[in-house]
Amino acid sequence: MDPLREKVKTLLQEKTISAFLGMKQDYDHAIPFLFTSPEGVESLIIGDARYPMAKIFPKIAHKYPDHHLGIMVRGCDEKALIELYRNHQLERSQVIPLGVACSGELAQKCNCPTPYPSQCIVGEAQERPFDRSALDTIESLSLEERFTYWTNQFGKCIKCYGCRNICPVCFCEVCTLEDKPLIPLGEIPPQVPSFHLSRAFHMAGRCIDCGLCEEGCPVDIPLRTLYRKVREVVKDLFDFLPGEEKEEEPPLHTLGDGTFKLK
Amino acid sequence: MRYTTVPTICSYCGCGCELLFEVLDGELVGTIPSKANPINHGSLCIKGWTAHEFVVSEKRLEKPLIRKNGELKEASWEEALSLISLRLKEIKHSSGAESLACLSSAKCTNEENYLMQKLMRAALGTNTIDHCARL
Amino acid sequence: MLSIPSIRETSMAEEARFEPKIIAFCCNWCSYAGADLAGGMRLKYAANLRPIRVMCSGRISPHFIIKAFQEGADGVLVTGCHIGDCHYMQGNYITAKRVAILKELLNFIGISPERLRLEWIAASEGDKFKRVADEFTEKIRALGPSTINTISFNQ
Repeated sequence: MDPLREKVKTLLQEKTISAFLGMKQDYDHAIPFLFTSPEGVESLIIGDARYPMAKIFPKIAHKYPDHHLGIMVRGCDEKALIELYRNHQLERSQVIPLGVACSGELAQKCNCPTPYPSQCIVGEAQERPFDRSALDTIESLSLEERFTYWTNQFGKCIKCYGCRNICPVCFCEVCTLEDKPLIPLGEIPPQVPSFHLSRAFHMAGRCIDCGLCEEGCPVDIPLRTLYRKVREVVKDLFDFLPGEEKEEEPPLHTLGDGTFKLK
Repeated sequence: MRYTTVPTICSYCGCGCELLFEVLDGELVGTIPSKANPINHGSLCIKGWTAHEFVVSEKRLEKPLIRKNGELKEASWEEALSLISLRLKEIKHSSGAESLACLSSAKCTNEENYLMQKLMRAALGTNTIDHCARL
Repeated sequence: MLSIPSIRETSMAEEARFEPKIIAFCCNWCSYAGADLAGGMRLKYAANLRPIRVMCSGRISPHFIIKAFQEGADGVLVTGCHIGDCHYMQGNYITAKRVAILKELLNFIGISPERLRLEWIAASEGDKFKRVADEFTEKIRALGPSTINTISFNQ
């Protein structure tokens, strides 16, 4: 943590950045906070819990487009930022990310294969094996069993919009899930399976597999499993994986060149 | 340029989920669920997610309003409370205490709700008491 | 409070001759004209298709297809111009991409991907339209009614 605090203090003192978005120890709470003075950096911590840094950051960056801003990034936050640059939601030149590798426990809890950003100020980059067991289990079921399984899961939904609200790559100002002709008002659970199928389709070419959606779901729907499948489908069909540092347009952003053929 | 998050408890129902209000330059802009609280574990319902909206809403009442000649007009607390007390007594006298009912709120504190039911049961004499979270 | 779906039993009479409900999205310039030609040629084909004309198959948002299934369609047929012949040049390029992703997704959540079919039909291919309509109807008849509308949750 000290190397991080030193780095942030230096950046603030030299006015390389106007402010730094990180976590602050506030009595017994660890909260996201924007540090603007070198003195205040004493209370900067990394914290045990993951908060959506990449979701909060654009709010500040859009209000102050002429300032350079620092942000504490984990592996997932960095991927989210790459996708935000790709979708023209954030200016890369405005952002100075400081990388933090996740602890072994957090990486275990998150089932994350790459719990580290490209450059770490704190922590060591340690890869973990990718646990595909949830997907394997579902794929081993028959079609009818899968339908029953997912209908049961989607039937738990209380339409809190938590998955969409917390998702760092969900930035649309007008959301399809609030479109009345598609998703009628006043139904709990919301249209099964349209609601979740629509969201899953929107995640094609966008989802970075951060897992915040599943963590924020009050009824434990296995959203991450569903979106991981979408990621695999997009990777297989179009060789595109969101979060990778590649100069590529996502497959659904452009009409294409006509070479893609349905099998 | 000031941004902070303020830990607070959702005021909507009896669950008491913890949330973090996002405050940017003194303005309330959003809500994030708190991951530190064992009650909600980083989840919220739709009311919790939109809790920041009502705080700064233009539709919030700021002064007592009394309907005069079909239109709502601003009034003082004195005038409003006197009118309420007068009308409640009148209705109790003309139609009986059972014609009175009360709709309280899960947003009130336990103490406020205690006072409300005491007022209705002991002072006015009716059992018809309910609160908004039941709807 | 867990909701448990109950699958309504289909009556013997219904199963005896199940008539699939198929929504066919047709692009104005090629496939709708092809369907028109099938009519002009007096070709008899399955009456189970409900055509919906759009200006270009690229206009077909995946939400249209999802909505069709949600509202009880047993099958969805997406038709458009052949690659390279799109009236708007590249409109149909993205249709193929969308349908490919959606088929995989439908399979994953337990809806047979064969209920969604993409076909390029030119304005001169009235006979192809008839053939596809008949084939697809039989395919859906064999697959059976869509299970989506039998979902109910015990409130």
